[in-house]
Amino acid sequence: MGELLDIKNLRTDIQQRRSVVHAVDGVSLTLGEGQILGLVGESGSGKTMTGMSIVRLLPPGGHIVGGSITLAGRELTALDDEAMRRVRGNEIGVVFQDPMTSLNPTMTIGNQIAEAVQGNRGAARERAAETLDLVGMPRARERLDNYPHQLSGGMRQRVMIAMALASDPKLLIADEPTTALDATIQEQILDLLESLRARLGMGILLITHDLAVISRYADQVAVMYAGRIVETGPTGPVLRRMRHRYTEALMAAVPRRDQDAGIDLYSIPGLPPDLSDPPAGCRFHPRCLFSQDDCGATDPPLVTVAPGHQHACLHPVTYTAGSTLKLTERASDGRRVIDARAVPLVEVRDLVKEYPVTAGLLQRRVGAVSAVAGVSFTLTPGETFGLVGESGCGKSTLGRALVALEKPTSGSIIFAGHDITAMPAGELRRIRRDLQLMFQDPYASLDPRMRVGAILREPLAIQRIGSRRDQDRRVGELLEEVGLRPSAAQSYPHEFSGGQRQRIGLARALALEPKLVVADEPVSALDVSIQAQILNLMRELRERLGLSYVIISHDLAVVRYMADRIGVMYLGKLVEIGPATDVSDHPAHPYTEALLRAVPDLTSAGRATPATNGASPARPAVRGELPSAINPPSGCRFRTRCPRAQELCAEVEPPLRPFGPHHLAACHFPLRAPLPVEAGLHAPASPGT
Amino acid sequence: MNAPNLDVLASPKGGEVRAEGGLGRAIGRAFTANRLAVLGVGLIVVIVAFCFLGPLLYHTDQVYTNLTAANLPPSAAHPLGTDYLGYDELGRLMAGGQSSIEVGLAAAVMASAIGVAWGALAGYFGGVVDAVMMRIVDIVLSIPGLFILLFVATIIPPTLGTMIAIIALFAWLIPARLVRGEVLSLRSREYVQAVRVMGGRGGRIMLRHLIPNAIGVIVVQATFQVADAILIFAVLSYLGFGLSSPAASWGEMLSSGTPYLYDDYWWLIYPPGVAILLIVLAFNFVGDALRDALDVRLRQT
Amino acid sequence: MTSYLLRRMGQTLVVLLGVSVIVFALTHLLPGGPARAILGIRATPAAIAAFNHANGYDTPVYLQYFSYLSSLLHGDLGFSYTQNQSVASLLAQDIPKSAYLSLLALVISIVVGLPLGIAQAVRRNRFLDYAVTTGAFLGYSMPVFWLGLLLITWFAVDLSLLPPEAPQTATLAGALADPAAMVLPVAALAIVSIASFSRFMRSAAIENLAQDYIRTARAKGLTERTILARHLLRNALLPIITLIGLSIPALVAGNLVVEQVFNYPGVGLLFFNAALRRDYPVEIALTLLGSALVVVGNLVADLAYGVADPRVRLA
Repeated sequence: MGELLDIKNLRTDIQQRRSVVHAVDGVSLTLGEGQILGLVGESGSGKTMTGMSIVRLLPPGGHIVGGSITLAGRELTALDDEAMRRVRGNEIGVVFQDPMTSLNPTMTIGNQIAEAVQGNRGAARERAAETLDLVGMPRARERLDNYPHQLSGGMRQRVMIAMALASDPKLLIADEPTTALDATIQEQILDLLESLRARLGMGILLITHDLAVISRYADQVAVMYAGRIVETGPTGPVLRRMRHRYTEALMAAVPRRDQDAGIDLYSIPGLPPDLSDPPAGCRFHPRCLFSQDDCGATDPPLVTVAPGHQHACLHPVTYTAGSTLKLTERASDGRRVIDARAVPLVEVRDLVKEYPVTAGLLQRRVGAVSAVAGVSFTLTPGETFGLVGESGCGKSTLGRALVALEKPTSGSIIFAGHDITAMPAGELRRIRRDLQLMFQDPYASLDPRMRVGAILREPLAIQRIGSRRDQDRRVGELLEEVGLRPSAAQSYPHEFSGGQRQRIGLARALALEPKLVVADEPVSALDVSIQAQILNLMRELRERLGLSYVIISHDLAVVRYMADRIGVMYLGKLVEIGPATDVSDHPAHPYTEALLRAVPDLTSAGRATPATNGASPARPAVRGELPSAINPPSGCRFRTRCPRAQELCAEVEPPLRPFGPHHLAACHFPLRAPLPVEAGLHAPASPGT
Repeated sequence: MNAPNLDVLASPKGGEVRAEGGLGRAIGRAFTANRLAVLGVGLIVVIVAFCFLGPLLYHTDQVYTNLTAANLPPSAAHPLGTDYLGYDELGRLMAGGQSSIEVGLAAAVMASAIGVAWGALAGYFGGVVDAVMMRIVDIVLSIPGLFILLFVATIIPPTLGTMIAIIALFAWLIPARLVRGEVLSLRSREYVQAVRVMGGRGGRIMLRHLIPNAIGVIVVQATFQVADAILIFAVLSYLGFGLSSPAASWGEMLSSGTPYLYDDYWWLIYPPGVAILLIVLAFNFVGDALRDALDVRLRQT
Repeated sequence: MTSYLLRRMGQTLVVLLGVSVIVFALTHLLPGGPARAILGIRATPAAIAAFNHANGYDTPVYLQYFSYLSSLLHGDLGFSYTQNQSVASLLAQDIPKSAYLSLLALVISIVVGLPLGIAQAVRRNRFLDYAVTTGAFLGYSMPVFWLGLLLITWFAVDLSLLPPEAPQTATLAGALADPAAMVLPVAALAIVSIASFSRFMRSAAIENLAQDYIRTARAKGLTERTILARHLLRNALLPIITLIGLSIPALVAGNLVVEQVFNYPGVGLLFFNAALRRDYPVEIALTLLGSALVVVGNLVADLAYGVADPRVRLA
């Protein structure tokens, strides 16, 4: 196999005001023609810097300080800037993460693609139309004169890819190409990249934080940690029989589809090191459960264990008894059996939320965005309910309505016997202590001007609970509860890492001893290893404090791991609801199934044969993108993208029908036959039954 | 067999806090690292000392004219010469500086106070209240400031107090707009929503969260406003609409020196002009550096 | 876009009406009302009553406002008692001269200031950047009248290169005929604007240079020159359109001061003299006119922005 890209001992530094960050510190990689190499690592691992070093597009202060990069036999590090510019234009294409900001907002997409092509204008425009067509842009030629803001996120990413492909590169570097996109769109884009590498015979360097994406699409994988490659080889063997302790820990931290909820996710303790002053020896040793004295003294070299499979660990996984990571097993999986006779904690009835759309001189109301369209469900005390769906499905609006941050257009939310949507302000203020919200963004959810102690004391002060001394004591308890030292109360939020801030956010939500905590994407802003810490903590507190959670997430695996029951939302409608394992293992609604299939999963990582585990014909991709919520489709809202849609779907809105104990789905042509109505007796009240 | 690493298990699960020091210290570091900021603060200190402490050491008569000693060039008795009424130019520079700095600071403080209150209320309430309040700002802002200032100055007798009031009356609009924008964006932050979820009311949100977080922007703007107010006061005085004699101001000194432009009485043209330039420059330096330092904070949080 | 346009025009109308109310109110704030102001301190009560009746000042305030508005709409801007001429005719004479001075200064400051700012952004933290930054700080910290005085001292008095006064002429043709005399006034006005334009352009360009789409352009292998011309320039210039609209009040004020310093017979000097002589009708008419210029200028800037930015145009 001729190596297309060969990187040897690459070192890249970033000069900062006070220090030098060794972002890439001795990385060696090879990528063959027509192959996909997955470069995986957490934020700050140097994976992006490695990619950007290849094309020499480093941030200010960044420069390559050693090693070599050979592209098809040519040494790139020796090229001057002008020659490097020509390499970027002709031999390497780059796709960046955020298609919203990576395109020039004031230039048509046709011109932006065409300018990447050599030759005269007419030919370049012709080539632009051709590549746009190649990347699956519908009516490509008509789209040439569109501006980026006229396209959806997925379409913009297709434009980015077309731009990268326009000059027929040998190598495509895709830096987190789908991180900003929804699951079904991510699938479309990654399938496209995979089919293109086969058709065009180019090599793809796929940089991502997502091990599951790697497991489905990459032929080879390289795992990075703290500026170094710790393990590399063919995808199957590396993910199935990993040897490095970091790879092992990382794999154990990701919830899988078949994750046993009785076993805690493994959470890697501590934080990644500061790369301006990395630890001596193995960089992972301060966080490694298996580290020994030599780990801090010796820099472990890469050793080959099988053809192409190398790792840099002094005490690798040996797959003998006691040598693998031991995970905490719980007495039970913590899942609650749904008791339909229990008095519900929350009962949501026919909830509707619409936002007016105004236009014209007088801002007349001309329509409405239908964010939540008639959702009903109940929540029993101590239950964890997972709400999944893609962006724009209304799950966050629903969550905000549950904590009375959003006033619904119609419908009611009964909490402990009272309708919180029609409650006098004073009474609502008192009941708020039982309903708390945990936010997604650990950076925006804590007031930067307040010390952590004041942040945690604020809810107690507002609700006038206890004396000042009681409150201070409670702050200490809360910090301990979420695994932080009491001294943290004296610090400001910016002194903490993202995961630590999320702990503080959780502590604040718990300060009032609420009965229900709504967690809106609680871990989606965090790295995998930190994610596991927060999820485990949330589970532990649920058991100890008898909390109920509503966990809102786009990530089915997270929700399945955490929740007793799952509700799937699409465009404002609850399309399927039922016990977590039942919904994810035996979905009835085609949308649920599509969502499940769109998201790559680690469960199959070891089993599928590597290099051919790509787009299997059995995987029916969901067509197109989410329609506008201003004029949602008639009948079943999913019908415009559904592979099973028939005429009936446009005419009649499907009612929720039972598919198992407490399992309901709203589809005219479900994946399996519904039960006779009697079997679903204890189902929550729903409009259709 | 491999022994599990106990050190790892012993530390708190959440990990250690990175020691970095408080927010104020980070801003302070960024500010003092800026050489222009240090220069600006230094200039302000020197000029204020010159204007307010100078007269204690250097006594001159700034009330009674002495036409026999008019327009004298610099000499040992008068280091900066005398003006057309025989006032000692150096002493007058100190007296004029006092009024310029007083008007500048007071007008800026007043304008910022009005602007912050107006903008915060508009931004907090939003909707119709916001629309009406901001339309009023738009209207007043579209009247060219200098025109209306001259107009009002012809109606109201000029004293230090009225000068401050007149300048502040038209300088609060910019901070009002700025604070409104800031409050509007802060209002939708998650930490403000968190307070709502706890049951916190408007007053707490405004006083504990919105204004403390907008304070940086307000201080930067107020610094620039001092510079602007000093310039406007100088223009008004130069055009003859400032304080009446014998009260001194730098603008009025330049105005009275103008007829002697062709006589090359340089000591009547350069010192007051340089004084205005330096004090305005100093406040602009400080404002600029404060804004940069604030950006440092925004980047960290 | 049409809806945006209509809404924006509606807002402009509201603001203009608001300005007319304020200006109308100002005439009534005058000590003793407009009659005292025009007829003088020693006017008899009978004369004042007669004047008030003749001018409709004895009717209810809102009626007065409507008649004021209607005369405004008919182009009647009042009468200057000190110059014994209609305000409209005074304006017709002086506006072209002021427009000449201001526009020339504006064009020069755009042509000089914007490239300077871009050059600074591209060569950030190099000698040029520091030099221009220093100049800009001095430029906008300097009182424009003092700058005028310095220019006169250096170029007219010491070097005798240029005339110290602006063209002394009643017509625009006269001003056009004497370009040498325009140099110093235009320079004084332009230097201050160059300072703020270059400073603003610098930060707009630096902000855009840090955007992701610039990195995309580099990844396409475009030359730095192409990136600058095709990608950076257009995006960085967009906010400048708004800035020019917003700089009109400063330009109008600068104009007044410069016309006074160089004794240039434009509307600025007209206003200054009216203020000295308490010629209220002229002051009021000019305040209204200046406000209209600001409001319409902002409207034009916003519309131009809408045309230049496809995100607004195609929204």
